[in-house]
Amino acid sequence: MNGRIRTLRIVARSMWRRASGRYALVVMGLWLLVSAVSLVWTPYSLLATDGFDTWGSPSSSHLLGTDGVGADVLSWLMAGSRTNLVIAVLTVVVAAAFGLLLVAAMVSCNSAFSSASVVVVDALISIPTVLVALILSVPFGASAAVIVAACGFAYGLNLARILRPSALLAARSAYVESAIWSGASPIRVFFTHIMPNTLPVLSVQLSMSAGTSLLAEAGLTYLGVGVGSGVPSWGHSLTTSVRFISIYPLAVVWPGLVVTLVVIALNLFGDTLRDAIDPLTNPALREAA
Amino acid sequence: MSATIRDLNISIGGRTIVGDVDMDIADGERVGLIGSSGSGKSMIAKAMMGLLPATARVGGSIEMGGRQVVDASDIDIADLRGRYVGMVFQNPAAALNPVMTVAQQVGLPLYLHYDLTSAERTERVGAMLAKVGLDEDVLPKYPHELSGGQQQRVGIATALVTSPHLIIADEPTTALDSITQRRIVDLLTSLVDGAGASMLFITHDFAVLHRATTRCYVLEHGGIVESGATADVLSSPQTGQARRLVEAARKLSLAAKETDHV
Repeated sequence: MNGRIRTLRIVARSMWRRASGRYALVVMGLWLLVSAVSLVWTPYSLLATDGFDTWGSPSSSHLLGTDGVGADVLSWLMAGSRTNLVIAVLTVVVAAAFGLLLVAAMVSCNSAFSSASVVVVDALISIPTVLVALILSVPFGASAAVIVAACGFAYGLNLARILRPSALLAARSAYVESAIWSGASPIRVFFTHIMPNTLPVLSVQLSMSAGTSLLAEAGLTYLGVGVGSGVPSWGHSLTTSVRFISIYPLAVVWPGLVVTLVVIALNLFGDTLRDAIDPLTNPALREAA
Repeated sequence: MSATIRDLNISIGGRTIVGDVDMDIADGERVGLIGSSGSGKSMIAKAMMGLLPATARVGGSIEMGGRQVVDASDIDIADLRGRYVGMVFQNPAAALNPVMTVAQQVGLPLYLHYDLTSAERTERVGAMLAKVGLDEDVLPKYPHELSGGQQQRVGIATALVTSPHLIIADEPTTALDSITQRRIVDLLTSLVDGAGASMLFITHDFAVLHRATTRCYVLEHGGIVESGATADVLSSPQTGQARRLVEAARKLSLAAKETDHV
């Protein structure tokens, strides 16, 4: 266990050493911090509105201005960050569980099943995420759960499709054969011998899924099948202001900027994480292990 | 551990890979299985561990230490794999997991078959590495940081760490240079003899076979064409296949001797 903590520290340090990794870690750290803080404190209550101060410009009392009902934009963005955090994390968890289950089935079963599953996955991938969300929202109503289910389903399929070649490569390798000769069970072989060798692909794909889930949240909320009205989220902030973009462009800039910066951070996070966790590309991991 | 193979037949997709093979390995004996590529050597080794592909059809009998392996369930022969039978692979660079350290690699069979604390495991892994001539400082290293010879030493340590009763070595020296080949073969034989284990040594190289085994079987197109003491087969091969392999070994060892002087 001690070794694992040390490995984690080396990985974090290697990421920090690169500018892109530092950006990703700082933005994601801020995201976590703001989400936590927003639970107990925001500059204004979300329900505090001021009919005489709508579409207010940034000022000392409202740092990012006010929206169409005179609510504080910063407070809504802060509160929205926790909704988006939950959506991103759950999407990654669902996509990883679903995707890895599919990959495990693909590499463990016979070749006929494996090739058939590619066709099925390809067919399912062609269903747009939006359509899945729209269908789900009919019985369940618009909610964050619908976004997570739709994104988890779609990104899980994507993950399976992208992970399959590297998982197959590992599954047919001599080191997996060696592990089987040593008496390792199929489940053990998958999780400790095949999966770790797909980590570069897995880490990039999952962090991209987290980023894409934010974009999906914004899109689906705009279509009315995302988070329910009154629930703070970045997509919600965008939706309420985007109709007035030609009159009050600044109101759209703030949520748009937050989403953009965080999505970039998530993509860079995956990128630098991939380089940092692979002993082949990260010499620090070898020296200190 | 002794192994007795009778009338072994293996076919995949209607094509016979191995036909009517009889083999015996006595306790503590080092036996060779020699044949050119594609003669079915590795298939016999896989059949002995019940690890043939699902599409393979197996007939005949394989007894390992008095237990029938053919048609046995995975659970029945689970302790054969890695516990009573150790396997040394052909290409050590490929047979070691690129993201596992030497310590994890060698410790895996111990972890799977013994109930040890991690300190006890590390101690036994360290002792095993010392036996194959590696220092403790390779423990945290990854396979790509080791030389080919070191990698195969790790492979041997992995196979022998559980003190198995039978070692199956599938072309363990093919991927190594001739000087390293000799060292690895000598290491393997001395460790096997020291442990009182048996060994099945699979190769296509008579020069290596002569050093590693006392008795051998010559395999051609999935059938045994000749068997006997390795020295006898090497000095007076009876069949065409054996003669060709001996001829090839002479040329190779001649070439090796020349390079020794360089």
